[in-house]
Amino acid sequence: MSKSIKLIGNAHLDPIWLWRWQEGCAEVLQTFRSALDRLNEYNDFVFTCSSAAYYEWVEQIDPQMFEEIRAMVKKGRWVPVNGWWVQPDCNMPSAESFARQALYSQLYYYEKFGITCRTGYNVDSFGHNAMMPQLLNKGGMYSYVMQRPDIRENSDIPENLFWWDSEDGSRVLTYRTPTGYTAHGKEDIDRKLEEINKRVEETGHGMMMFYGVGNHGGGPTKGDIEYLKANLEKEGFNDLEFSSPEDYFDDIYNDFLNIPSWKDELQHHASGCYSATSLVKALNRKAENVLGASEKWDTIASLVTGSKPSTERFKDAWKKVCFNQFHDILCGCSIMESYEDVKESEGYALNIASEAYNNAVLKIARKIDTWVDGVSEPVLETRHYTGADNGFPRPVVVFNPHSYDIEIPVRMYHPSKSVTDSEGNDVPFQNVRSSRTNDDHLDTLFLAKVQGFGYNTYWLEPDGDLRAPKELGGEQDFFMENEYIAVELDKETGFIKSLVDKSTGEDLASDNFLAIPTVIDDESTDTWAHNVFKFHKVKGLMELVSIERVESGALRSVIRTKHKFNDSYLTQEFILAKKQKTLRVDCKAMWQEKFTMLKFAFPVGGNEEISTYEIPASFIKRPCNGEEEPALNWADLTVTKNGKRVGLSVMSDSKYSYDCPGAELRLTALRNVIFADHYSDRPAADFNFTDEGLNRFSYGIYLHSGEAENSDVVKEAHIFNNNVVAVPESYHKGQLPQKDCFLYTNLDNVNITALKRCEDGSGDLIIRLYETKGIEDSKGYLMSKLFDNGFWFDIKKHEIKTFRVDRDTKVREINFLEGIVK
Amino acid sequence: MPEAIKLYPQLTRVVKHFKKFDIEVPKALLESKPQKPDLSDFPYPLPQRKKDYTCFCTSADGAQWYGSNGGVTRYDSKAESLSNVVMHFSAHRDLLDNHVSAIVPDGDCGVWVLTDNGATHIAMVLMSMEEKAERLLEESHKYVARHGMYSQKYLSEAGNLDSILPYGSSDNDGSFSSAHAMGEIFRYATLKRELGEYHEDTIKARESALRASEANLLLMYISGRGDGFVARSYHTKDEPIPDDGLFYKKNGATAVCVNTTGARERGIVGLEVKADAPIPERLRKYYAEKGNEDTDITYKGDTSSDEITHHYMHLLVAHEFLGLEDPEYDELLKNAARNTTMHMITNNFALREASGEYTTWAKWNLEYFNSPMGWADACLNAGQMLMYLNVTMHLTGEQGIFRKTHDELIEKGYADLTYKHYDRFHHVSIQGGVEDRVEIMYGDHMLAVLSLWGLCTLEKDEELLKKYRAAFRSWRYSLAPEYNPGYDFPYFLSDPENAKPDAEKIRTWFYRFNVSRLAAKVSLSARRDIPKKELMGDYNETSCLLPNDEHFIAKYDRNPLEFKDEDSGGALCVEGCYPYTFAYWLGRYFRFIEEGTN
Repeated sequence: MSKSIKLIGNAHLDPIWLWRWQEGCAEVLQTFRSALDRLNEYNDFVFTCSSAAYYEWVEQIDPQMFEEIRAMVKKGRWVPVNGWWVQPDCNMPSAESFARQALYSQLYYYEKFGITCRTGYNVDSFGHNAMMPQLLNKGGMYSYVMQRPDIRENSDIPENLFWWDSEDGSRVLTYRTPTGYTAHGKEDIDRKLEEINKRVEETGHGMMMFYGVGNHGGGPTKGDIEYLKANLEKEGFNDLEFSSPEDYFDDIYNDFLNIPSWKDELQHHASGCYSATSLVKALNRKAENVLGASEKWDTIASLVTGSKPSTERFKDAWKKVCFNQFHDILCGCSIMESYEDVKESEGYALNIASEAYNNAVLKIARKIDTWVDGVSEPVLETRHYTGADNGFPRPVVVFNPHSYDIEIPVRMYHPSKSVTDSEGNDVPFQNVRSSRTNDDHLDTLFLAKVQGFGYNTYWLEPDGDLRAPKELGGEQDFFMENEYIAVELDKETGFIKSLVDKSTGEDLASDNFLAIPTVIDDESTDTWAHNVFKFHKVKGLMELVSIERVESGALRSVIRTKHKFNDSYLTQEFILAKKQKTLRVDCKAMWQEKFTMLKFAFPVGGNEEISTYEIPASFIKRPCNGEEEPALNWADLTVTKNGKRVGLSVMSDSKYSYDCPGAELRLTALRNVIFADHYSDRPAADFNFTDEGLNRFSYGIYLHSGEAENSDVVKEAHIFNNNVVAVPESYHKGQLPQKDCFLYTNLDNVNITALKRCEDGSGDLIIRLYETKGIEDSKGYLMSKLFDNGFWFDIKKHEIKTFRVDRDTKVREINFLEGIVK
Repeated sequence: MPEAIKLYPQLTRVVKHFKKFDIEVPKALLESKPQKPDLSDFPYPLPQRKKDYTCFCTSADGAQWYGSNGGVTRYDSKAESLSNVVMHFSAHRDLLDNHVSAIVPDGDCGVWVLTDNGATHIAMVLMSMEEKAERLLEESHKYVARHGMYSQKYLSEAGNLDSILPYGSSDNDGSFSSAHAMGEIFRYATLKRELGEYHEDTIKARESALRASEANLLLMYISGRGDGFVARSYHTKDEPIPDDGLFYKKNGATAVCVNTTGARERGIVGLEVKADAPIPERLRKYYAEKGNEDTDITYKGDTSSDEITHHYMHLLVAHEFLGLEDPEYDELLKNAARNTTMHMITNNFALREASGEYTTWAKWNLEYFNSPMGWADACLNAGQMLMYLNVTMHLTGEQGIFRKTHDELIEKGYADLTYKHYDRFHHVSIQGGVEDRVEIMYGDHMLAVLSLWGLCTLEKDEELLKKYRAAFRSWRYSLAPEYNPGYDFPYFLSDPENAKPDAEKIRTWFYRFNVSRLAAKVSLSARRDIPKKELMGDYNETSCLLPNDEHFIAKYDRNPLEFKDEDSGGALCVEGCYPYTFAYWLGRYFRFIEEGTN
């Protein structure tokens, strides 16, 4: 049994943190140069480095140095690890993002170095979701190095070395580094080496010790290497060896060890990071959603119309999104100026997505037969309704990027007299206030019903005479209901005072008001909230300034509340539309409160509470202990009330943080702390705050009976997050019908998250999907007009599957690397 | 226990091939003018491209049949189960070849199909699952049985049962024959309960079960070594000795090691070993009835834990259902258990070959467990040894050395090893640089099921029972995806809290099991509707578990998800029926399933 200590020379590089990316880039170049020099000076020295993004920087800026690196990689002395674009936050990116982290990085490593990384390596990331073993395995990685949470933050997780399992059966051998990822200088090295040596004796197996200057790059210095070399000769220590994580794990595999296993997430470290700096969170969510939707329709358009797919452009865009998922960026703990850079690069990605999306849906729309006999002008002038002048309704095509069928309000920016669908049936609609003041000040909102991966054409008869009234007026009760929900707001507080799930008759607000905007004191922590896991110190509740019903029509009702707290204001529009299972709340907050959080509290009450949170391609149940928890699109509290199991889910378009103290679920909407405030070592200054100023966001409330996983919460939250696209069309002949769908699965516990072309240029189709409800084993099929057939598949609980359909319509199941690398 | 799942009679594919101009081939088929079907809105995945479908017809039950360049597809939009909506028939099991040029209804629920190489009648016969069991058993009796053992037989001509070769053994005769015998015993026990002890069918079932059991038990005695050594298999004077292991020809007082490659490699050709221990007459008859003397016997050595584990579970089942009503036979069962267990105890928990060496794959000692080769096996083998001891104590009613040994092994950590299976297995998979599913020894599945089922059935200590249930769960990662009731029913019996049978999957497994075990391969690789899941080392699986009648034929020792066309016994083979009859009668006896009527 090997009891050696592998010395891992590395340079932890934050491309953005207390500096902007330009400095990070320079730091990469300097660190890589230094590492090469050390490799040339010391024949046994080995350098380990993650993050494909850094290698690409070097390749573009200093091709000669890149060639030197290639040579060292070939010799096995420079070891790339972590087949991901950066070391991302491992809580907030979607599963599709993790797939792209692996796809673009591993293919890059394969192309440039002829290798792929077998070891995942996120030594600084602030917690790791429970799906990571599967996400790593499917990206070609079977071992993992992590550090946070450390043993003081979570002593339940095995120390040193453990098998980490996810629900589907995926597994990674995980090393929890006990002495951090840096060691520099005699004293530091001695201390850490002693600790590692002690652990070797305790465990009976080899360990790794990470050394080198880090965070701002640097890497192992001459002094460190020479000091360690001197130690190599010393008695008393277990064998020391310059090495890499990949070699370490190979040694462990070759031993026969009884290694403990762990089947849960690895939490918590920086609980404040789930909510700090709303801007970057919102951009990440939006970019993930729009890129995914855009790429699906770009792929469909390329197959339906023969146009060139935008695969390369999407790769460019995804690389930006992946970069901005770097833990210090997405966690909102970098300097304020760096978020200007984030806006730029996320904007670049969003622009690619939006252009491709628009191009794709218009390419398809132009082929739909929208011709109406009698139309004098085949081209319709958008604003003046040429066709409409002749009494013809105007075609609008609605595209659904989800695999779910949807029925959802869609907005067009002009008022209408009537709306009909492609079969001539009347469609519920409502003329609602627009965001502009000129013209009629009215938009049309109509209820579109579109199959998954499909489109449907609607006919809107313009109403050129309609004008919005000067006064809002109308009834002033604060009750709304549709087929599923009845909700009433309290006129004194503006909180929800009754919220009835009409399927059960249960009022979730029977014990307490709900949706209470609660201001939390957050002064004693830093941006990360180091060592703080609960945020419970209430400064006060926001006070109602006004409440008014602003809409009450055939399609929807809207009640607007305005609250204040000191100098901060919050406007909420509670929107309940026909056929919607989710009560939507659009928020505008003008936030000035320093060192605060804004939470929306839902003290449902009841007992036997279970809280459930969405994690990448899955969900997790956590104790209702009031600790701040990361979640993707939704979180849920299910309780027993009046003998029934009932649940309330809260979803959002941009938030990632919740807590659940007992039978109460709270969405953390804002966190206004100082940028990059590390352990609150604050000199006197006029600081900038992470969420000060205008914040726009939306959240939704969904009610269900039974447990969360058996409900439609995943579908509702994903539709909430990624709306349909509607394009105005003109009158023309076309080969396509007015309503169609291109991809379909019979399983309602499957969400299709990617439809793209293979990265190898073969033209093969890539389809990725995952199981949403935690059902042990489902048998299903997928059908598609895109290859005029379908295929069968089995899918396990929380499993992600990727399929590749070739031009001959043969289907392979592959991993995130698309079958390009085996 | 969960409520019994009702199995209803099903239209079951029964196929017969003809030459094109055979008198039985209907004229309508030969004169048929095929028309391409309109499949533009076909709502399910099709095994072939739409353009490859050349002809179609409708059978009397309303099912649509489509002929293609890649076989025949049947579409029954009214099928109760999703698995039965679309069925595919391909060469060579269902068709002579895949190029279908015409298809006509047979006036019933089936069709006649014309392909390049002739005609095929695909009859869809309404058949209960019990009828299928009887049909398969009859086939095994007729074509597979060898001295009362049932594993497989070989043919001289592919697909032609009439070309069966008179002799032929299996390396694992003891394993497969044990499983067969257990199926027969559960059949008897079920009929006895349902029809009564004196019903003609019960009496026949008992005779058949006893014959299968006795013939199998003979392997625990036949070496004549008298030390509990169990033979893998044996041959009589007319049967050729294959060059695939170690064989000992009995010559009276001794047996002599036969000249085979394995014997030469070990340097033991001609080695003599004691062989004069008497063979009980009621077991001896299985070779004597064909005129063989003891000296006509050549038995196979180098026995594995595979055979031993199957034998011990067979001993337990035979004792419960045959032995308790037949004291003489029960004594033979008890002696076998006692002798073989003592062999293992006195030989450091291993089987000892005539040479004095351990056999290759029958080691249950700590030295083996701590060796690189045995480290991953340890979890399975530790459970096996404990099961052998528990079975021996249960059968003989004796504690003594068996209890003492059992307790010592528990003290040494044997029970704690059992539930580490997945950790160790995964570890060595990664060590070998391959994914779990590539590394799995599918033959180990039945060994794990039998040993853990035995342990969970017999163990009274709650703490140990918890460990054995955890051990069973550690195997579920690879057992569960097979949805094999032969594995799942014992698991449900062993861990009732986790007994959650999936009725749909269980029904599909039985409904779609082939009516014959004759090898003939399928054309999976030509299908468009079944994704090929690429694993490491060019090993591929299907992305979904195919119904039994659409994938290759195998025993319980292959991965049913493996993406391949060929049957595991090769093209010239007919397999025994135990994969169906063991699961079916076990399920019937323990009331996991019952027959329903349409």
